[in-house]
Amino acid sequence: MSSRKRIGALLVVVVAGFLAALAGSIHSARAAGPTLTIWVDQNRKDAVTQLANQWAAKNAGVTVNVVVQDFGSIRDKVGTVDASTAPDVILAAHDWTGQLAANGLVEPIYLSAAVKKQFPAYTLNAFSYGLAVKKLYGVPTQIENIGLVVNTSLVKVPKTFAQLEQEALAYKKKVHASFGIAVQQGSGYDAYHMYPFFSGLGGYVFGTNSAGNLDPSNIGVANKAFLKNSNLIDKWNKEGLINSALTYSTAQDAFLKKRAAFYITGPWASQVLEQSGIKFKIIQVPKIVDASVPFLGVQGAMVTKYAEGHGVGGLAEDFVSNYLTTPAAQLALALANGRYPANTVAGKQVHDPVLAQFGQAGAGGVPMPNIPQMASVWQDLGAAWFKATKGAGAQPAKSAFVTAARSIADKIG
Amino acid sequence: MSATTAPTAGAPADAPRAAPIPRLVSAFSGTVGVAVKLLALGLSNALAVWAIYVLITRHHWVALAVLAAATVLIDLVYLAPGQAFLPAKFLIPGTVFLIGFQVFPIIYTVNIAFTDYGTGHIGTKAAAVQQIETTSLEPPANGKTYTMAVARSASGTLTLLLSDDATHKLYAGTTKGLSPLPAGSVKASAGQITAAKGYTILHGLALFSLDQQLQSLVVPVGKGAGIRPQSTSTAVELEPTLRYDAKRGVFVRLADGAVFRDDGSGEFARGTEALEPGWKTGVGTRNFSRILHDPLIRTPFLSVFAWTFVFAAGTVFLSFAIGLFLAITLDKKGMRFLRTYRAILIIPWAVPGFLSLLAWQGLLDQFGVVNNKVIHPLFGTTVPWLADANVAKLSCILVSAWLTVPFFFIVSLGALQAIPEELTEAARVDGGGPFQIFRRVTLPLLLVAVGPLLISSFALNFNNFNNIYLLTAGGPPQANSAVAGATDILISYTYKLAIATGKGQDFALAASVTIIVFFITAIISTIGFARTRVLEEVL
Repeated sequence: MSSRKRIGALLVVVVAGFLAALAGSIHSARAAGPTLTIWVDQNRKDAVTQLANQWAAKNAGVTVNVVVQDFGSIRDKVGTVDASTAPDVILAAHDWTGQLAANGLVEPIYLSAAVKKQFPAYTLNAFSYGLAVKKLYGVPTQIENIGLVVNTSLVKVPKTFAQLEQEALAYKKKVHASFGIAVQQGSGYDAYHMYPFFSGLGGYVFGTNSAGNLDPSNIGVANKAFLKNSNLIDKWNKEGLINSALTYSTAQDAFLKKRAAFYITGPWASQVLEQSGIKFKIIQVPKIVDASVPFLGVQGAMVTKYAEGHGVGGLAEDFVSNYLTTPAAQLALALANGRYPANTVAGKQVHDPVLAQFGQAGAGGVPMPNIPQMASVWQDLGAAWFKATKGAGAQPAKSAFVTAARSIADKIG
Repeated sequence: MSATTAPTAGAPADAPRAAPIPRLVSAFSGTVGVAVKLLALGLSNALAVWAIYVLITRHHWVALAVLAAATVLIDLVYLAPGQAFLPAKFLIPGTVFLIGFQVFPIIYTVNIAFTDYGTGHIGTKAAAVQQIETTSLEPPANGKTYTMAVARSASGTLTLLLSDDATHKLYAGTTKGLSPLPAGSVKASAGQITAAKGYTILHGLALFSLDQQLQSLVVPVGKGAGIRPQSTSTAVELEPTLRYDAKRGVFVRLADGAVFRDDGSGEFARGTEALEPGWKTGVGTRNFSRILHDPLIRTPFLSVFAWTFVFAAGTVFLSFAIGLFLAITLDKKGMRFLRTYRAILIIPWAVPGFLSLLAWQGLLDQFGVVNNKVIHPLFGTTVPWLADANVAKLSCILVSAWLTVPFFFIVSLGALQAIPEELTEAARVDGGGPFQIFRRVTLPLLLVAVGPLLISSFALNFNNFNNIYLLTAGGPPQANSAVAGATDILISYTYKLAIATGKGQDFALAASVTIIVFFITAIISTIGFARTRVLEEVL
């Protein structure tokens, strides 16, 4: 190519480059005024968008940007996202609090006494974390827990655990290829669904220290009282009351196809249950030795540390602690997800009977520990239950849980 | 080409027409080619200029320098006249992707392995200091909360008009202090101050643009406590419990004077007591020595490594054997429905692996179709496909082989057809039986062609996270180890270590295990490649 052609070529190339850069810079310098970025999951996107727009109408000049993320990945993405695209407000589960606060990713929230009164103490505790002093890091919006679903046209609603055992085994004997209590475990383990049995036998995960905070050095997975009652697990395994091979889908399938009269699940299955045509009632698992309380899950909203950097620190706090705590907003958010709202005033306006039954099944429940050490627990505790209820060739419960407790202690260090 | 396609009748008449590739080449030379080249260069330059602009705004100077150098280099190479830099013109696109998607992640992983990146150590020290200061503020005993309106006084000072939530008393607060507001000079509704004499209350954008100022504004109320705005309409009385001594770089607890020092591993600590959050910092070879010395990690390492080797070798051997067998069987010319058989055999490869694996997980479930509809009616018992440790290992190999058979089927088919027929004819004439011909003639020639593919398939299955994790999630738990399950391979074991360690996630530990796995895989692959070259020489 001649030198003129070469220069011409170079010019074309550079001009193209500048035009593109210009277009890019014009595009990025568009939004004026503060923007609030909220990360939500697909289920609650519409409810949050509506609430955010109503709130923005009261704060003229603010633009709201609702971004949908896969709910399970929000906790990890908040830590690795670039500050320019980072969220100011996120919807979160309460057991993320420990990890998010330990990473310094969320801001403390201070509620007035009048607002705090509208929330049950355990929901505020669920979002509180601190090594020395606990601080509130999130506003609870909904609560959920599992319950025992009883097919009332096949068996009677049991009032004691002995009754439950008797009815489940009688039904199992009557119907071929059936199960006692359909509770999911599977090779992925599920300590969450087995928790009512765990607490009913006297087990607990972390004890509390004198200040009332969770104490990760006090592991109750193999405490003396529980080990004394653990032979009941071997008994259940031998008579086939619980089978750890059941997974989420096969357990639900067994209950819907009437191959199990008892099913342990949570409000996420309420639509499936209602549409199945089965007559059912939801109760708490009857007391075994202690009350068989389930884990309580609380979900809410948190303000991230990026809000201040974006110049919307005050606005984010306003949205979360002033607007999302109102009964109307709480009701809208909780119902969008099919759950019970955390705000007690909003709770009085919920008339769905299935939700109400699940709520009652959670009485006295224990919020899942939100400290980061909990990550070690899920796998080990679930594995212990899996091994102990495997059917033939199951490990004796006592040794399974002692191994689990030792492993948890090792990992926590 | 394949004997199944008959020569077209029109071929002799088409003979003068040039073959497709030389035609394309001549079409793209000359003006059209230059135009296309300039367009592509223009696009890549545009991308580079935009990226440079973004990097400048975010102050990533190293990346900026690398990008600018690369752009200039690419322009030079492609605008050079004639045949200059001809090899580079072909190599640059592949090299760019190699550096971007292979070299850079490797460098990044090695970098992380020497830090303590994980829960509690993900930010910078400056951010950690700021966050500790923010979270160490506590409401004092009987601390008050206020409803707030932000206003400017007549002289322009930023003032907070506060209404105590409990007593509804009214105050005006500035950085100088708190002073009561006479109730008559203020109009309030539902606890919110709407107008005040001598002050202009700020609303909307005027208020929102002051966010940074408000976040650092403190109204002192004595004894170290101060009223700080929280949202745009609330304020809270808070007092600090820790003080940062910037000169010494330590935090001092105000209650008892305890000093928290930077302990060199990314946090402020005093003995066993630590402040959260910490920050990411280099810790040298701590992760590698932990792999060697920590019994929690070391004990299962050898058994997991052994199983990984068995899994990869078993998968490759089984799938190659079955694939080759099918290829030999279906290599008959003129067989009916040949194309149908081949299409069916490709299906395991065509269906996305994720779907197949989850489907297999359901099929092999204790109460799944295989047990219920096949095994139980035939044998009266059920097989614990995924529940028993040894059977689960077998299931992993079988399912993984099922997924890989089509690949080796196609490869073997092609390689078989590349073996000249004269060799097998000659062997038959010499009196060799079919099995002897296969072992002495076909197989060695096949291995020369397929050898590298066997090795790469082995390396792939050595790190085949999907096939293991989606099928068994690492498998039934073992009695001795809590983290490693019976079917955990090194990479899924690393994944479990990274998300289920003592305090959340430990990415640095996972990175260091990954590096060790990389070296193991590289050594095995190198040995394998050396042996295939030996094979070539013999022939």
